[in-house]
Amino acid sequence: MYGGDEVSAIVIDLGSHTCKAGYAGEDAPKAVFPSVVGSIDQMEVDDPANTENSGSGNDSKNTGRPFDSEKSKGKRKLYVGSQALGHRRDHMEVLSPIKDGVVVDWDIVDSIWDHAFRECLLVDPKEHPMLLAEPSSNTQQQRERTAQLMFEKYEVPALFLAKNAVLTSFASGRATSLVVDSGGGSTTVAPVHDGYVLQKAVASSPIGGEFLTECMMKSLESKGISIKPRYSFKRKETRPGDFQTVDVDFPNTTESYKLYSQRVIASDIKECVCRAPDTPFDESAYSNIPMTPYELPDGQTIEIGADRFKVPDVLFNPSLAQTIPNMESFADIAPSVRGLPQMVIESINKCDVDIRRELFSSILLAGGTASMQQLKERLEKDLLEESPQTARVKVLASGNSTERRFSVWIGGSILASLGSFQQMWFSKAEYEEHGASYIQRKCP
Amino acid sequence: MANSASGMAVNDECKLKFLELKAKRNHRFIVFKIEEKIQQVVVEKLGSPDESYDAFTSSLPANECRYAVFDFDFTTDENCQKSKIFFIAWAPDTSRVRSKMLYASSKDRFKRELDGIQVELQATDPSEMSLDIVKSRAL
Repeated sequence: MYGGDEVSAIVIDLGSHTCKAGYAGEDAPKAVFPSVVGSIDQMEVDDPANTENSGSGNDSKNTGRPFDSEKSKGKRKLYVGSQALGHRRDHMEVLSPIKDGVVVDWDIVDSIWDHAFRECLLVDPKEHPMLLAEPSSNTQQQRERTAQLMFEKYEVPALFLAKNAVLTSFASGRATSLVVDSGGGSTTVAPVHDGYVLQKAVASSPIGGEFLTECMMKSLESKGISIKPRYSFKRKETRPGDFQTVDVDFPNTTESYKLYSQRVIASDIKECVCRAPDTPFDESAYSNIPMTPYELPDGQTIEIGADRFKVPDVLFNPSLAQTIPNMESFADIAPSVRGLPQMVIESINKCDVDIRRELFSSILLAGGTASMQQLKERLEKDLLEESPQTARVKVLASGNSTERRFSVWIGGSILASLGSFQQMWFSKAEYEEHGASYIQRKCP
Repeated sequence: MANSASGMAVNDECKLKFLELKAKRNHRFIVFKIEEKIQQVVVEKLGSPDESYDAFTSSLPANECRYAVFDFDFTTDENCQKSKIFFIAWAPDTSRVRSKMLYASSKDRFKRELDGIQVELQATDPSEMSLDIVKSRAL
């Protein structure tokens, strides 16, 4: 038991695309930054001058704390945060710590936590209990590893691991619901019953915001539109209101950084113009729809037509992605990927008959991609057609866009600030007495 | 134990009044609220046996969450007099997120204290706990 003093807890929701971090009790996360980091191999580039002017760069190797593993990977310098990533550097690769919802590189996760504590929130982790949101599919090893890192390295006084889906469900006032969380890297459908995630019925697919961004980019490319990364040109105002764009060449830019920079732009295009179509996308029906203009950072204005509807429809009908040129990489996984309505129905059908009715009437949307315009209406419509007639289908999303995007974080923020919750923490003393595996008991 | 439970305790009176409703049938309904200052679920309101379902629904606040128990009398198709005890988690859409989180994360533990609930409903607007729905769930 952790004797809850007046120090507020820190809440972190590390998603596959964005990391949300902030103080418990607040309405929204203080810091929201990419979950990817820039990495420069120190074997290749050993330039101390480069290190000094990196500014907001974060060198996890210089923090003076030992690392228990990953030593074999050699020395590398990691850059965390939107600002540090926004700055192009020679040979800097962009890496993600998470693959298919599972942490594959703890070193990067560590650097992200460190960045959140020391540069965004300006707190000493020794003084604050930590509530971390975790995916429903998190394995026992992953949870123990998390506990170990938090207690041993950051010396946190107390820890709690809360399941994403449960937090979203509770924050909507429901102990039982079907949570459809469409984030950056994946989409997960998880039934929650009285605060338990029904693991056997969880469905997930790799189609999330980033996949849609990829579709948007490839589709634009096939129409001859190439997105110039922000670093690759300079714009000068030659006369008032008259701009000249000059290309700048940086031969040492990595492919992954170029892609990252292009995706930032493609993702903005997607968020600005896309809208889920009311009925399944049909190429011929959309061939004459009016074009929507979008101004790229280099001043070039592009026009987006059918893609506005086609790209979001991939969520509902993944095989549509195969009609986009150069999306071949998708073909390997295509047969196993289901559309959103099928995932929902499959998941509900794996649950006990007694609660199916309740789940159909409380389908909760969460995550960035779920905020897509008309997505809620379309999902409801598709489900009405495919669900049993007796089911009362109701798809819900918070009217407030902050609440919708950050429902997991907000749920965690409230939970960690409740007076009664202070007795629920997994405390440092308990960790020392029972070890990391005790996390399974404290945070089931 | 469910994940992310709030740790909220339950006042003994809740169990006592529930037992009275179940065994002696001297209450039609009970409304419970969470008193954050003492970190307990407490009894807010009791309804006498002759009160109607409408009287019960109107005793739930429009913008705040509550838990409630209702002893529902009905007649089956075979003309048989029966009653069922309903547990209702009331979390109106218009209530604050904090209130929703508080009640949802405390529900599992609270419900375990009330032994004898036959039907459970979660309602986020009055239509989800209309008399028709209650009737259809009772049969």
